[in-house]
Amino acid sequence: MAAPMHLGAWTLAMLLLGAENARAADTSPWYVPDHAAVQFAGSIGFLSAGPGWSFLEDALEASVLVGWAPPALAGEDFLTFTLKGQWRPFRIDTRGWTVRPLSVGLLLSYTAGDDYFAAKPDRYDDGYYWFRTALRPALTLGASAGRPVDALNLRLVEGYFELVATDYRLVQFVRNPATVNAGLFSLALGVKLRF
Amino acid sequence: MTLLLVFVGCGVFEFHPYELRGPPRDLHARSLARLKDAGPKPTFQFAVIGDMQLFLDDAAGAMRDLEQRNADFVIQMGDLTEFGSTQEYEWGVELLSRLPAPFFVVMGNHDALGLGQKLYRRTFGPESFAFEYSGHRFVFFDSNSREYGFPGNIPDLDWLGTALTPQPGLQRTFTFSHVPPGNGDFDDALIAPLEQLQADHGVSISFHGHVHQFTDTESRGVRYVTTEAMRHRSYLWVRVDGDAVQVERVTY
Repeated sequence: MAAPMHLGAWTLAMLLLGAENARAADTSPWYVPDHAAVQFAGSIGFLSAGPGWSFLEDALEASVLVGWAPPALAGEDFLTFTLKGQWRPFRIDTRGWTVRPLSVGLLLSYTAGDDYFAAKPDRYDDGYYWFRTALRPALTLGASAGRPVDALNLRLVEGYFELVATDYRLVQFVRNPATVNAGLFSLALGVKLRF
Repeated sequence: MTLLLVFVGCGVFEFHPYELRGPPRDLHARSLARLKDAGPKPTFQFAVIGDMQLFLDDAAGAMRDLEQRNADFVIQMGDLTEFGSTQEYEWGVELLSRLPAPFFVVMGNHDALGLGQKLYRRTFGPESFAFEYSGHRFVFFDSNSREYGFPGNIPDLDWLGTALTPQPGLQRTFTFSHVPPGNGDFDDALIAPLEQLQADHGVSISFHGHVHQFTDTESRGVRYVTTEAMRHRSYLWVRVDGDAVQVERVTY
């Protein structure tokens, strides 16, 4: 069993509130988040949310997401913690919009609960399974577009999509391209608020 | 919004790798209903196919080969998946559903990873079950002892003893489980009791997967056969004809 369902929802709310409070001037220290994201799907929860830090004029960024999927939608309560790094090399400014036509990234998610293992349990010999069911690396490929929202004092409100290729999808795709084909990816949609 | 719902329905969105939604449900009950509808036959044949896990394209080849044959049903011997993820269950079920014949899937150790056991039950039904067809009995059980840390009741010999109880009119019994007795992942303490139980109840052939190779041995008068993983592009073709049973290793 994963953590009780209200914990996931509560954590999401606190992270969003925290990020909102952390909104600060450019002089704020590096560890104060400069954006917050809310994401739908993408193998890390029905909804996930968390703070993020960007560098090199938003071309490089890192975020921490807490994801939650309720039993009513996912058949079980899932609480997932994700580290995500992304590189967004291109930027197009047009008609008040800022478009990032490519983002490539890496993520690592951790699922809480006794049903999954992050370290090798004693019952297995070394190398019995070459992966850890609680740990899930993935590649992401996506794009985003955003514009400032002065009324909310937001530098940028950005919508994004991501194609997420989790480890098992990648491995199966490499070994079995004919069977997997488009199933290499699942889709995530999200919004980022940049302070 | 409508588009979003369509995408959600298509499985484009994944909430979690082990989410309990997606694959069809209760497939064994459906297969049993189809077998019952087909009615008994004095002579029948079934295919036993091995571990699919990372060999799905090879498994697709087996499905194409089996489409040319007139199998009454097909049994996959477990490790349908590598990670036990929902998506892999879906891929496996999609491949097996290409068969014109009803199919059954044994639960392998990989299929039990994460929430795999719940996924298995949801998709197929209980991991221990039995049915009768044309006067013969088919018994499936869970022998993935190591996956549960060798608790001493995997396989569940009490359940198995009941499932193997002799009945008048039954000609032959075949058993199916993923890990063969004697393998390191099978509970050492249960090897002799299982083999004795199967011998006492006159099991004809005990079929297994897991070892990825073809073996055909005998213990206490019971035949033990393992089938290769799909990467070897082979499966077993079993023909039951009155008093005779033939097991043939087919390559494709």
